[in-house]
Amino acid sequence: MEAHENKLIAEIETLQNNFTQTTDKLIKDVKRQDKIMTRSDKRQQKEYDELMALKIEIEETQREVVFTMGAIGESRSKETGNHVKRVAEYTYLFAKHYGLPEKECEMLKQASPMHDIGKVAIPDAVLNKPGRFNDEERAIMDTHAQLGYDMLKSSNRSLIKMASIVAYEHHEKWNGTGYPNQTAGEDIHIYGRITALADVFDALGSARVYKQAWDDEKIFKMFKEERGEHFDPKLMDIFFDNLDEFLHIRDTMKDVVQD
Amino acid sequence: MENLKFEATKYTPEINLDATGTISLVGKSYPENTFEFYAPVMEWMEKYFETSPADTTVVNMEIIYFNSSSSKLFFDFFDLLEENSSDNKVEINWIYDEENESAEEAGEDFIEDFEDLNIKLVTK
Repeated sequence: MEAHENKLIAEIETLQNNFTQTTDKLIKDVKRQDKIMTRSDKRQQKEYDELMALKIEIEETQREVVFTMGAIGESRSKETGNHVKRVAEYTYLFAKHYGLPEKECEMLKQASPMHDIGKVAIPDAVLNKPGRFNDEERAIMDTHAQLGYDMLKSSNRSLIKMASIVAYEHHEKWNGTGYPNQTAGEDIHIYGRITALADVFDALGSARVYKQAWDDEKIFKMFKEERGEHFDPKLMDIFFDNLDEFLHIRDTMKDVVQD
Repeated sequence: MENLKFEATKYTPEINLDATGTISLVGKSYPENTFEFYAPVMEWMEKYFETSPADTTVVNMEIIYFNSSSSKLFFDFFDLLEENSSDNKVEINWIYDEENESAEEAGEDFIEDFEDLNIKLVTK
């Protein structure tokens, strides 16, 4: 009887021993899993942070490249000072009131300063000629729209693609008498229609070596005449309906007068 | 026993299992099917210790990037080495770039978990 009991106890003790070994192993394993998970979470956080920082870096680089290209275009045109910056702000405002999504408005603001980039390929003799262009020189000048488009069109970057449209179509007119393609009405991309108006508004209101700034009455009179001719009537209405906002940009981003 | 070699892929390291006693894993380890991928490695290691282990087995691991199932597998791998370390001399070099914090921490974890194993942290 005693022997039988002892045997059972021995079996139970073996079981207990095995159980302890197994649970020890399990506990060790669970601890390892926890450690792996903690490390993995930490790493994931770091990786995602790095990814986001890279994304911002890429976006900023793109912005900088685009802005620099705009400045290069500007240095080749007779516009100066804050012209491209104001055009950028005007295009944003037009895009917003036209109802484009915020992201697209923001992109247009960045892309529109590149509208004259094609001028880098216009010969100095033509570009810097004092006084009026003859027909031949005017024709050469007008190629800057096509030239700008050709420079940018092959890019896969959405911002550069947008800039190519802006460069291509910012001299088209609503009535189809612009260049390079005499496109009319809504066949002209909205980016082109917006930049056309923003560019002209700023150029007219700015004084240059060769011309005085137009006063507002003269600009508004011209705009009313050109509504549905040079310019998209809807954009023209947006301009007059939100005049204060446009004038505010002009006032806060004035060119510094140099003596 | 025959040597076994795996070329590196985009997601897996170069692996050299040399029966003269040098084991090396170099590269990245983040496959989708980690345990499946490493199954032949684990089999080879078991067979190696059962049949003809060298006097000293040197394991060089230089894993620059790894996913969490790979860390789990490395724990299993070190388990296997630890089980055989009483009858065999096993030296492990965990090699990493000093800027690679994840690799350094993993190495420290292994040392902490495997008191009986001779694991050296080697910075490049």
